[in-house]
Amino acid sequence: MSSLAEYAWLVPVFPAAAFAVLTAMGRGAGRGGAWIGTLASLASLVLSLMLAGQRLSGTAVEYSNHFDWIRAGGFTLSLGYEVTNLTVLMLVVVSLVSFLVNLYSHGYMKDDERISTFFAYVALFSSSMLGLVLSYNLLTMYIFWELVGVCSFLLVGFYFRKPEAKAAAKKAFIVTRIGDIGLLIAILLLFWYMPNHSLDFTEIHNVFGTQTGVISMGITTLIALLIFLGAVGKSGQFPLHVWLPDAMEGPTPISALIHAATMVAAGVFLVTRTFDIFEASQAAMTTVAVIGAFTAIFAATIGLAQNDIKRILAYSTVSQLGYMMLALGVGSETGAMFHLFTHAFFKALLFLGAGSVIHAVHTQDIREMGGLGRKMKITAGTFGIGALALSGIPPFAGFWSKDAVLAAALEANPIYFIVGVIAAFFTALYMARLFFLVFAGSPRGASHAHESPAVMTVPLLVLAVLAVIAGFVQTPFSEWFGEWLFPGAEEEHASVLVIVVSIVAGLLGIYLGWLIYAKGSVRRDVVSSRMPGLVRLLERKYYVDELYDLVFVRPLGGLGKLLNVIDDYVVDGAVRVVGQSASAIGRLNTRLQSGQLQTYALTALIGLVILALAIAGRRFW
Amino acid sequence: MIEDIPVLSLILLSPLVGLLIVLLLPGQRSNWLRTAAVVFTLIPLALSLWLFASFQPGAGGAAYAEHYTWLSIPLNKEMVNGGSMNLNFDYSLSVDGISLPLLLLTAIVSTMAALASVHIRKRWKLFYVLFLLLETGMYGVFLARDLIEFFIFFELTLIPMFFLIGIWGYYGREKAATRFLVYNGLGSAAMLLAFLILIATAGFTAVQQDTGFQIDFSGSYDVLLKNLADPASYANNASAEMADLGLYLSDSLKWTAFVLLLVAFGVKIPIFPFHTWMLRVHTEAPPSIVMIHSGVLLKMGVYGLIRFGAFLLPAQLESWSTAIAILGVINILYGAVLACVQKEFKLVLAYSSISHMGIVLLGIASLNEAGLEGALYQSVSHGLISALLFLIVGSLYERTNTTQLDELGGLAKSVPFLSGILLTAGLASLGLPGLSGFVGEFLSFLGLFGSMKWITAIGVFGILFAAVYVLRSVLNITYGPLKEPFAGIKDARFIEAVPMVALTALIVLLGVYPSVLTDVMQHGFGGLLEQISQRTGG
Amino acid sequence: MNMLASYLTLAAVLFCIGLYGVITKRNAIIVLLSVELMLNAVNLNLIAFAKYGVQPSITGQIFSLFTMTVAAAEAAVGVAILVAVYRSRASVNVDEFDELRR
Repeated sequence: MSSLAEYAWLVPVFPAAAFAVLTAMGRGAGRGGAWIGTLASLASLVLSLMLAGQRLSGTAVEYSNHFDWIRAGGFTLSLGYEVTNLTVLMLVVVSLVSFLVNLYSHGYMKDDERISTFFAYVALFSSSMLGLVLSYNLLTMYIFWELVGVCSFLLVGFYFRKPEAKAAAKKAFIVTRIGDIGLLIAILLLFWYMPNHSLDFTEIHNVFGTQTGVISMGITTLIALLIFLGAVGKSGQFPLHVWLPDAMEGPTPISALIHAATMVAAGVFLVTRTFDIFEASQAAMTTVAVIGAFTAIFAATIGLAQNDIKRILAYSTVSQLGYMMLALGVGSETGAMFHLFTHAFFKALLFLGAGSVIHAVHTQDIREMGGLGRKMKITAGTFGIGALALSGIPPFAGFWSKDAVLAAALEANPIYFIVGVIAAFFTALYMARLFFLVFAGSPRGASHAHESPAVMTVPLLVLAVLAVIAGFVQTPFSEWFGEWLFPGAEEEHASVLVIVVSIVAGLLGIYLGWLIYAKGSVRRDVVSSRMPGLVRLLERKYYVDELYDLVFVRPLGGLGKLLNVIDDYVVDGAVRVVGQSASAIGRLNTRLQSGQLQTYALTALIGLVILALAIAGRRFW
Repeated sequence: MIEDIPVLSLILLSPLVGLLIVLLLPGQRSNWLRTAAVVFTLIPLALSLWLFASFQPGAGGAAYAEHYTWLSIPLNKEMVNGGSMNLNFDYSLSVDGISLPLLLLTAIVSTMAALASVHIRKRWKLFYVLFLLLETGMYGVFLARDLIEFFIFFELTLIPMFFLIGIWGYYGREKAATRFLVYNGLGSAAMLLAFLILIATAGFTAVQQDTGFQIDFSGSYDVLLKNLADPASYANNASAEMADLGLYLSDSLKWTAFVLLLVAFGVKIPIFPFHTWMLRVHTEAPPSIVMIHSGVLLKMGVYGLIRFGAFLLPAQLESWSTAIAILGVINILYGAVLACVQKEFKLVLAYSSISHMGIVLLGIASLNEAGLEGALYQSVSHGLISALLFLIVGSLYERTNTTQLDELGGLAKSVPFLSGILLTAGLASLGLPGLSGFVGEFLSFLGLFGSMKWITAIGVFGILFAAVYVLRSVLNITYGPLKEPFAGIKDARFIEAVPMVALTALIVLLGVYPSVLTDVMQHGFGGLLEQISQRTGG
Repeated sequence: MNMLASYLTLAAVLFCIGLYGVITKRNAIIVLLSVELMLNAVNLNLIAFAKYGVQPSITGQIFSLFTMTVAAAEAAVGVAILVAVYRSRASVNVDEFDELRR
């Protein structure tokens, strides 16, 4: 049994093989082909669970293996995988959500003619994501990091005929690429500063964690910030969050898998893997915490004013990822990973629930929904559980993890804590708004809604169960999770204050939401009638997109056009002038060629005479 | 025995045999002509593959070398001590870790381009004759180990290219062909001058005989390499014996030669501001010829710069490495920004080639193993990727009669296979890991970052712009609502799909398993790096 | 020595007359005749040097015989071309022959 870790590389290989088969079969694979992808993800899940079982039994040692990818005289670049408690945890989360989403998609994508393409992309994504979490060094991680990015791009643009999907796919790829550049430069820096050009996480841990001083403070901070830039791009943190809400143009199962549970959490995972670099630099830690806290509250306020069910959830994802970053910034790896773990389940649940709703009513605008609770009991029930978990109501999973984050924040700096609590209040408010508008009240739009088929509701139920129980791995009373994941790491001490305040904030938010959107005792336009500017600001997402357009996109486009003109008229023009002057001289000379033999003879004679005179003249020089 | 077969000559000559056979075939049978041409591009491909498979990196490539003296002209110059002087023209072929990958690239791209020439609609016979002549020239460039021979083969690629662009191109073909010839002619003139300087001052061997010194001048690369690398050799000193020759390679002559070489190969690569000719060629030449042009001919510049610039004159390259790196960054960003605003897909690709060649320059400027390997890898990878892209362009143009971005749209609906390959090629071009483009870029950046951090960091932004222009153009073509005129067009035929799948497979192979090439390249650079480290050490 | 000078002077005069005729005359036949005149001037030089030159030898005379043969052939070809041109153009005016420009 101890050798099971040696086969961990098979986990990402199963879906990769499924991708290869599905691509080779082409569109003809159809719905039968889709099961290939599902089977592969099931295989990954089973193997991941077996690995996890072995790790949980506590007997397995950490295992890593690698091979030389590029050899070049003085150094080698290698790729490899590593099996630790952290990677196994991520493996289970990713493969579980991936499997459930696969299952769900059989219902959701049933009528799409490109269903096998869809499953092929999902398989490629699962493979890359599993590869990412298994990576043993930064180079391996970077490779899979880019691959998950491209899968995200492909899946966001899955409905390629829609211009919005095309734009969103492009934006998702390009904005995350900004972060990727940061990560790439960080890798280059590490390569040249690390002893032996090593990029392994173990080595990074040794150098930054124990032998401080090998790399100077400034460079450490620079590396940390550049890595963080990568994480900001991937995890949709401010100011690179703009792609994530737009990415909701993709099919809803994709939003659940990629843009809620797994890929967007990769940024948090990356920072966790390289956490020693961050811990070595206080400036980097502060940056992470500030960006995280700001994103948490910033995105939550935008979520209050959106009307698209998926966009609300997207901003909620951004906000929750902000919490995770905040946890990292205040030094709590456990809090971040714990929140990542629970968030993966309840956010996937919420997205899949939203997908079930969209599948039933064929709209994403919550103002056109309503009263769906009676028609879609399972969806409504599970969505409610997810919403409660997200709002941080005990005993659901989100409560425990958010509590861990807030406790760590309070210990570091009360301002972080206050921001976190306010964001939690907003979270509860927009979730209450979403839930009541969609499921309560009377139908406002399509009334032919019906419950989704079992293939879609079973994943919802499984995730709902997880959203209830996943939090109990780490409560203020038992810190098993943190100790298992990061042995020896410092633990936060839960305080009653945190628990009480966060519960109150959550309940207050829900109560206010209930008053406004269900009971109606507070008028809905209570804010918008008094402060229309504020509401418009939120609806337009603080005009960040417009700002970027004005500051980056247009100037660059203008620069391009300017350079184009220069290239045409100056660089090429100079050449044209040279060429044309040469041919002008040539044209002048063609006059001499009259075709008259006698003229030629005369010319030759004159030439001869000149030559003779020259030679003769030289004698008297 | 198998070792006695002159493989290199066979590679060089088989296109010429094909040329003769094509000449003998009737001119109206386009199928016969194409089959003959494809068969005679497959032979060198098979031979190069065999060469690649049996290549022993440890042996340094010397295992495959052919050398004959072609002409020996006595020079009637009075010698002090009754010696004699000869001028030799050699036929000398060899492969090493640097030329072998490019040789293989040539073989692959030529075969694919021959297959892709189904779009040629007129004067097939002349087309294939010129095509095979061009192929011979390219093989010659990568195989030649003699400066004069190299020059002849280099020129041999120009003339067929001129006609191939001028006769089978699009609307502005004649101007493009002239532009091509003028620029490259100037480049060649600079190269010839540089070569003459090198041969006249350092390209000789002196053998002591009973009648005095017998001095043989030749363009032999190995002789030059030895003489230039040895600080005590005659070439570098105005010693007594050689004083009557009146020529030795002074520092200023070295610099002249280096700058001339930089210009000569800079035109070919092309380095900003010598790039405008290649834009015309990219847009006006027929796609199968652009495959060769972008895929192989530009790499001749890279090869020349590495072979003659880096190996013969490393000190000059080293002291100009910052300038070359800056030129590389300018190429990257200038090309990328311009690619972002073009309205014509072929121009996007042309500017993207400029951008990618900038990365090659960065690799060369690094002067360390990672960077040089990266430069070469990027050359091979860009060759494959741009060949694939222009293969697709040819197929698309045949169906839609346009390559204007705003006239195209939604093709993923009507031609899913072509669109899928186009997207893959685009992703490879923007440097997606797992495809070959990433490895070259990464190694080049990695190499240069060791010495010039800021310049590299600025250059890295090129990959952001790459994402912008690739996605902008590829998505404009394939995504979005399907434009009405293209609703009925058919997907790729089998004959078109074969080269596309083959190239894609190679791109994936090189992206996933780069050692297959880097292990070969690694040994090619060994000597150079030793020389540089000695210089910096001493 | 004087003998040589007078022969050479005669040859130079003949040559100049021939050259003048070649350059100025319109009629192609006269141009041809003028060419013959120039060739004869050359022959005269060859023979003069063969007889009175620094190293007198038979070579000059042989060479002049050779030149005469060539001149005969040239005249034959030239006149044949002229006849052909006259048939198509009905003219022997050299001003009208500008085919070389095309």
